[in-house]
Amino acid sequence: MAFTLAYHVILVPLGVAFPAYTLLMEGIGIFKKDAAAIRIARRWSVVMAVQFAVGAVTGTILSFEFGILWPKLMGRFGAALGMGFAIEGLAFFLEAIFIGIYLYGWTRLRPRTHFLLGLALPPAGVLGTVSVLAANAFMNTPGGVTLGSSGKVVSVDLLGALFTRALAYEFWHFLIATYITAGFIVASIYAVAWLRGRRDHYQGLAFAIPFTVAALLTPVELAVGDLSARALVADQPAKFAAMEVTWKTRSHNPEVVGGLLTDSGQVNFGLSIPSFDSILIGLSPDTVAPGLTSVPATARPTIAEANITHLAFDVMVGLGSAGAALTVWYFAVLLYRRRLPQSRWFYRAASLAGVGSYVAVEAGWVTTEVGRQPWIVYNLMRVSDAVTNAPGTFVWSMLSVLVVVYAVIAVIAIALLRKLGARWHQEDATQGPSAPEEGVPYGPPSVRGVTRGSSR
Amino acid sequence: MTTALANLTAFILLLTITAYSVAGGVDYGAGIWDLLAGRGPRAERARQLIDHAMAPVWEANNVWLVLAIVVCWTGFPLLFQSVFASLYPLFALALLALILRGAFFAFRHLQSGPQAQRRTGVVFGISSLLAPFFFAAALGAIASGRVALGEPNIPVWQACFNPTSISFGLVSLAATAFIGASFLVGDARRFGQPDMVDYFRRRAVIATAVLIVIGTIALAVTGLENPHLLNAMLTGLGTPFAAAAVIVTPLVGFLVWRRFFRWYRLLSVVVVGSLVFAWGFAQSPYLLPGQVTIAQSAAPLGSEVLLSIVTLAVVVLILPSLALLVYLDQRGELEAPQA
Repeated sequence: MAFTLAYHVILVPLGVAFPAYTLLMEGIGIFKKDAAAIRIARRWSVVMAVQFAVGAVTGTILSFEFGILWPKLMGRFGAALGMGFAIEGLAFFLEAIFIGIYLYGWTRLRPRTHFLLGLALPPAGVLGTVSVLAANAFMNTPGGVTLGSSGKVVSVDLLGALFTRALAYEFWHFLIATYITAGFIVASIYAVAWLRGRRDHYQGLAFAIPFTVAALLTPVELAVGDLSARALVADQPAKFAAMEVTWKTRSHNPEVVGGLLTDSGQVNFGLSIPSFDSILIGLSPDTVAPGLTSVPATARPTIAEANITHLAFDVMVGLGSAGAALTVWYFAVLLYRRRLPQSRWFYRAASLAGVGSYVAVEAGWVTTEVGRQPWIVYNLMRVSDAVTNAPGTFVWSMLSVLVVVYAVIAVIAIALLRKLGARWHQEDATQGPSAPEEGVPYGPPSVRGVTRGSSR
Repeated sequence: MTTALANLTAFILLLTITAYSVAGGVDYGAGIWDLLAGRGPRAERARQLIDHAMAPVWEANNVWLVLAIVVCWTGFPLLFQSVFASLYPLFALALLALILRGAFFAFRHLQSGPQAQRRTGVVFGISSLLAPFFFAAALGAIASGRVALGEPNIPVWQACFNPTSISFGLVSLAATAFIGASFLVGDARRFGQPDMVDYFRRRAVIATAVLIVIGTIALAVTGLENPHLLNAMLTGLGTPFAAAAVIVTPLVGFLVWRRFFRWYRLLSVVVVGSLVFAWGFAQSPYLLPGQVTIAQSAAPLGSEVLLSIVTLAVVVLILPSLALLVYLDQRGELEAPQA
């Protein structure tokens, strides 16, 4: 489950935020009458279709896994936890249809109509994000349910269970992360193109638009992330203590970067900044930071889990800071030189930003999930009480099959996109006219396959 | 109020299962005919048509499956837990088939050379066969009353594989091939390929016959195992739907055979829909026959209300946009293509 979720998380930024970039590009194309921008947007929409197909398959697998791996979780909390997913089902449906309309519409609608209909996509992505995070927030800070004496959910307060405390900060933190990640990943492809010598208007536009948006959002994300972390002090003290590897509750708590917690509560290695954690929480070294030992041993992460949480957290914050540094570089050049950066090192860094933000998203996800251990629903249900009774051999063989299958899907999707990229590149070189959808297994039929030629 | 809402939720669940059976059936059915096409130039033409017809779908059918799942766990958490605790092997197999199918459909487009394409096509075809079988077998297993409330009370393999579940699986295979062929006739007509119309017309007639034979046998087997279910199908809530399936199936075969190309696609949808409805209504008010009813396992009011709101949103938002998509699909390209 963790594995498949981790995989699905890779697709989410593209699914949620990529349509917004595509529309932005199309909007620029329409209102500035820039044919290159339109061409970029149309090609991006084809990538959207491929990634939607992969996302649809992995998303379906996920929903089944809830049943196959966590039947008891859903049996007990499905009524509350499931509500978010029900709304996500609706959002998924909307996305499916509007991606279809968007792809079909390139040749069948007037540009303005096409653009306006496409505007339905980003809100659908946001709706999906908020609803899935509502489910995750319920696991972190459950609320809105009344439990009977046997622990059974006897009543559900619709709004209370959907909008639990953690949702506010989880939502903004994750939504912005998707926009940053999608922006950087797209820009990184064109950064590589720059490094390989492509320096035309097309490349500049396709790099600058997503990069600028992602760069603008990066400092915002650091601020929101800071708010989220501070909210944890009250909401999930054990998770916060694990993130900061704090053993005993104390004031003047140091901020430890790197380092490993040992069984005796010592932190080895690691760079320690005196009192900085306390300052981060409450702006004063006297602020008391919660320690792991403030929670009974059976209700907090183990030492190993705390270390994973801590290191994942450090990786996320480190990468976020690196992204912020890159942002400063970018805007400094943009403001003082009034042009895009021309340094090879800048584009080398930018080409890593995409992968970097993915790693940051994964690390953030590890932080929140591992940091909640041993609970699947915080303080209400343990992971061990939720897992299936199916034999271990079944679970492990299923998992290994899925690993192989996912690898195959990844290879296919990447091969497909590379093939498309190569063809588009060639078309640009030869100035050949084209319908970018050709050769993609998903999309409107009249521009490909059997009737090719007869319709155009 | 609560009971009415619970019944509504159960009906929505049945509707989403039906929608998946129909939309997925058309898609899987095409895959089955791809597998059965054999070799030669005509088979290649058939495959091309199938591929072409499936292109606009791009895995979007999965939305129905996901909707069915979320409605089930939100509306009837206990049912969801019980079904998966007892039937996880069936779902794991169906899921595997579903993934392989999607992956190899895309993979085939990357292959060059007919030899390699045929090999990937075989995986695609076989998984198109297995997915509907296992999904329907799960419904059969539920109908047979072998899914216990909560944790399973008989060995899991017995809950999964028994005469009723296998009968359901086989009926779904026949029905899938049937609706797939019927829609491919339509696609061949739309693309203006008369020889392919005949090709799939013959297959639609054969599939009709096979569906009738397998359906009759399956009804007998199901009846022997679960007299209650058979009773409800013959003289209960399921009767109108069972009757509709019995009457309409041969009608579709007749229409297609006589080249009367009207209504046949709609009617094949009616056939698949009535098969699912016949099962669902025959089983009501039980979700797990003999063990738990709709009212008994319904989620608290708040969740049911949310599901009703979501359903309303589907009707208000999705149906018009779906209509627009269909309209765009049917409408030709504009004169001056941009970009």
